[in-house]
Amino acid sequence: MTPNTSPAPRVPDAPAAPEATGSPRRRTFLSSSALAAVAVAGGLPLLSACNNAKDGKREEGATTGKNAKALLPTYVALNLVAPDIPSKNGSPVGFTQSIPSSALKTAVPEKLGKGSTFKIMAPFWGSPPAADNPYYRAVNEAAGVRAVFQNQDGNVYADKLGAVLASSTIPDVVVIPAWNLTGKIPTAVNAKFEDLGPYLSGDKVKKYPNLAAVPTDAWQRSIFGGVLRGVPMPASNVINIVPYYRKDIFDAKGYQLPESADEFLSFAKDITAAKSKVWACDDMKWASFSIFGVLSGGDKALMWDMVDGKLVHRVETPQFLEALEWTRKLYASGVVHPDARVKNQGDAGNRFTAGQSLIYTQDISHWYAKTAEQRLQNPEFAMGAMDYFHHDGGDPKLYAVQPASIWTFIRKGAPKAMVEDFLALANFCASPYGSKERRLTEYGVEGVHYTLTKGEAVKTEKGNLEVNGAFDYTGDPAVFIAHPDLPEVAKGQLEWLQRMGSFTRKSAFYGLTVTEPNRWATLDADFETLEDDVVRGRRKVADMQQAVADWKSKGGDKLRDWYRKLLDDTGAARG
Amino acid sequence: MSHSTVPETPPATSGADPAKHPAPPPPQPTGESPAPPPAVRRPSLRERLRRDRVMLLMVTPAVLLVGVFQYIPVLGNVVAFQDYDPYLSDNGFAAMLESPWVGFEQFERIFADSAFWDAAKNTLVLFFLQLVLFFPIPILLALLINSVVRPRVRAVAQAVLYLPHFFSWVLVISVFQQIFGGAGIIAQTLRQHGVEGFDLMTDPGIFKFLVTAEGVWKDAGWGIIVFLAALASVPPDLYEASAMDGANRWRRMWHVTLPALRPVIALLLVLRVGDALSVGFEQLLLQRDAVGPEAAEVLDTYVWWNGVRNQDFGYAAAAGLIKGIVGIGLVLTANKVAHLMGEQGVYKK
Amino acid sequence: MSTTERATPPDSVRTAPGAPVRAARHPWSAPPRPVWEEPPAGTGLAAKAVVLTAACLAVLFPLWIVVVTSLSSMKTITEAGGLVVVPRDLTFIAYQELLSGGQVQRAALVSLGITVVGTLFSMTVSVLCAYGLSRPGSLAHRWVLAMLLATMFFGAGLIPTYLLVQALGLTDSYLSLILPSAVSIFNILVLRAFFMNISTELIDSARIDGAGDLRILWKIVMPLSRAVIAVIALFYAVGYWSAWFNASLYLSDQSMMPLQNVMIQIVQKQEPPTGLGQAIKTNQLSPLSVQMAVMMLALVPVAVISPFVQKHFRKGMLTGAVKG
Repeated sequence: MTPNTSPAPRVPDAPAAPEATGSPRRRTFLSSSALAAVAVAGGLPLLSACNNAKDGKREEGATTGKNAKALLPTYVALNLVAPDIPSKNGSPVGFTQSIPSSALKTAVPEKLGKGSTFKIMAPFWGSPPAADNPYYRAVNEAAGVRAVFQNQDGNVYADKLGAVLASSTIPDVVVIPAWNLTGKIPTAVNAKFEDLGPYLSGDKVKKYPNLAAVPTDAWQRSIFGGVLRGVPMPASNVINIVPYYRKDIFDAKGYQLPESADEFLSFAKDITAAKSKVWACDDMKWASFSIFGVLSGGDKALMWDMVDGKLVHRVETPQFLEALEWTRKLYASGVVHPDARVKNQGDAGNRFTAGQSLIYTQDISHWYAKTAEQRLQNPEFAMGAMDYFHHDGGDPKLYAVQPASIWTFIRKGAPKAMVEDFLALANFCASPYGSKERRLTEYGVEGVHYTLTKGEAVKTEKGNLEVNGAFDYTGDPAVFIAHPDLPEVAKGQLEWLQRMGSFTRKSAFYGLTVTEPNRWATLDADFETLEDDVVRGRRKVADMQQAVADWKSKGGDKLRDWYRKLLDDTGAARG
Repeated sequence: MSHSTVPETPPATSGADPAKHPAPPPPQPTGESPAPPPAVRRPSLRERLRRDRVMLLMVTPAVLLVGVFQYIPVLGNVVAFQDYDPYLSDNGFAAMLESPWVGFEQFERIFADSAFWDAAKNTLVLFFLQLVLFFPIPILLALLINSVVRPRVRAVAQAVLYLPHFFSWVLVISVFQQIFGGAGIIAQTLRQHGVEGFDLMTDPGIFKFLVTAEGVWKDAGWGIIVFLAALASVPPDLYEASAMDGANRWRRMWHVTLPALRPVIALLLVLRVGDALSVGFEQLLLQRDAVGPEAAEVLDTYVWWNGVRNQDFGYAAAAGLIKGIVGIGLVLTANKVAHLMGEQGVYKK
Repeated sequence: MSTTERATPPDSVRTAPGAPVRAARHPWSAPPRPVWEEPPAGTGLAAKAVVLTAACLAVLFPLWIVVVTSLSSMKTITEAGGLVVVPRDLTFIAYQELLSGGQVQRAALVSLGITVVGTLFSMTVSVLCAYGLSRPGSLAHRWVLAMLLATMFFGAGLIPTYLLVQALGLTDSYLSLILPSAVSIFNILVLRAFFMNISTELIDSARIDGAGDLRILWKIVMPLSRAVIAVIALFYAVGYWSAWFNASLYLSDQSMMPLQNVMIQIVQKQEPPTGLGQAIKTNQLSPLSVQMAVMMLALVPVAVISPFVQKHFRKGMLTGAVKG
């Protein structure tokens, strides 16, 4: 697929993402969940009442059950092309073969757009093309809209979002990733964005067949403050953070992959050769959470779960401290690349491809991105994904991540024609793999942005410059992985996701978008920095325990009661 | 700051261009000295308006720019006394009218936050380090360069020493990392010789010295400009006279050069003290992750973190206000001290 | 930098004050020593040379590494395992790629435009203001000065400032990079102090001849203040050239970004600029040398201009000036 040369996007502040992740512009890591298959209209468990959407008040809590059902769009499956690899254990579907141009299907038979102009503010990782270019014009023309992109540096998107949303004239369309929903941003979402219910709820969505084929649990995640506000980018609920290793080097040296936390530690010491500038790994904090079975850190609601009849937060669990302690040992024993200590200097992916670190954790999409990037530079390069193990050597205990983590919103008060054209664009961009529309959004115009080599689309230099995933945010189909140019990578990704999917379970608030009361919005803001301090040995594990105690007394316990009530109101925890 | 803060007379040390007025007596202080010139009737307001209207027009653009871009936003500081939520209303200004007033609650929260006290402590420690280790260096460099007689050598040295000022902080830190970091040139060279663990960039213990050293590397050369100018304004006759009196090189420096530099040093010291709570926002924000907030957080980054990252706007504004008030207090005190020592400081008594 | 060119003073003031002006001396040789000055001690000279050389080396060594790395091939960089200290095969490919169109070139032009326009604007406003405040006893000048000075000690929050710029319709416009930071009070005070030192007789006689204030400023004050104007213009220019924060805040279109912002992205996030894919892919160009080359591109313009202005530093920054 996209032979993108730039290193994948980095989202340093993304709680979900280790130092990078995100990678939203590559659909590769997205994957629909197991639910996608079963969540056909109403398959979503009916939970009881909700406690929010009090008129005129700040909308806090989450919406489930009947209230949600009234809002959710009707699911209508759409099968243009059968995948080579079907979904299993919540994995995406996979495509390993390219589809000849002549066999491409039409997903949008009639142009729905009526020519509205709207400005889209979206994060962008890497260097965006000029604002007006042939690729943007071609997609706009095909969808019948005039979308004008204001691409922002994705790494500092959060810094700017708060200020932009505070002004009276916000952009018409705003893309917000879940990891930027911190502080008062959730309030802003409820205050500033239009209700899409009148356009999409129930059967209304059938006007937009590709959006109707978006899995229901992704739509469920798009209910903010009791109102369907966003167009989601569906994601797989299997953890997207992968511990990669240099398969080429491991094979050459005959290294065996470690299978427990202790083994990893001693193995790492063995393979570190600092004098030759080779370290065993980069920062492993996010991997350690999975190894020790810590609750997901990617979403505020997912950080809570029922343990022995009591609702606990991930920072209160012993596993959390054990994971930090193990990562601290890694740092202390000198097996972690020294630049990883600095956190914001240099790029872990570059250290990995340069052979300076042999294991690093990154988003699942990097498997493809790095392999494609290295194919010309270093033909021997090969990377593999380590399976997670439980720290004591058994099967890992993994928690599901949310089935959608990036949304596109339209500003409140946008004219009806504009909302409809925005949805027309979303419908166009949500065209599935194997459609002409997807070929256009993914590769641009044939002859300009890509050429066909043995039936396979290959981007031209101009294609590399301009077709960089800007339209990935404005609507997406159910998640899939398609790498016809590197089928073995697609296969590896899917198999890993399916194996890990079998160890994945859902915590109490899985699938819900919970708006916490503002007064506790910044309560846990400093934990991530403290985690990083602890693993690097600058603070003690005891400091973390102290911070957790402070957190409880400053409102953590009250927040627990609040979540408990939400849980009672919305129904029992899921599997 | 009251109107009395404004100096009216050009300070005597500023002297005229020595090339044109080689002889000592400094130019007459022009115009309005503390007392109005005798025997001149103070003109009426209308007369002054007519006389000065062009001058006032000339001042207008700058006053407008400062008024609009510096004064109006300052009004935003009222959110320090609110539980401000900018999304309550159509726009952030209107939201100020609707956000609930909470009195001094934000300040109470700040004073109860140990991270704030860490930031305050780090700020002060860094300030003192910079004062002791950084401040004298441009003076010494200026004296050194001034004593070089060959003009080309002097020009080249100057041009080289300015260079780092033009690097942005991102570059300086990136270059430092690649030289002094744990996988940098020095660390790798030491590893070849069996010495492990060299990493200046992530050691919280020496971090403040590192920050000071980076500052010296980047800005000490640029800082010599003002001292060189002061040295150039010393009339050479003073040196000659002093030499005639039998003073050697060191005595001349002590009795002629240093007194000439004194007002500048005093002035810059006062300014530095007034700015004591700003110790390098960008530089520290960039390196906060390298050593952790306990060692690297300063008041400016604390405000940024809470206001921009956590969107706790009222809290951040309150912290900013504390910083501003303490800063003004410091500059007034420092100026007072300067006056007591017979220097003019930033403003006259 | 036409200001700089015009501001070149007559030769006589170029040499160090105090040194008698003599023609046809070799520029590297010492000017004749004043008769009253004792000959330098050998140890003193040596110590001076050592310190000065050490200081210059401390500056030049990192710079050397940056330059050499920017000129090194992929192979050399891989062998060195990072930054290159000893040059081997030098290649200009990084610069060629950066300057053959694309993002960096566009950003460099943006920066250049902002710097030129911004400096002209700032100088106009500042010179007018400084002159407007330079006549002792003129109406309201104390109040205006107090108002300007006060801003040195307090700041406004990011959000109110952003909201204001946004309300004025300046976001996504290059004006947002110029107007909010157009005046530096410090610079105005320096200019003002210089103006105040210009002989009042000259100005008074011109006024008696019927010249207005604008004419006096243009015909008398400005020509006499070339040095300070050159220095202040350099200060402003360096400020505009190195600024990045406002752009990151007020511009939303990434393709409008000035060079510093693009450079920060390339250096800190290690993302190669668009359009360099091919050369990096085919293994000729190391991303590291691209980073270093961008650093150099950002450094070179200011580094080239400053030595020309440098000679004015001594005269331009009258010490009294900083007193405000």
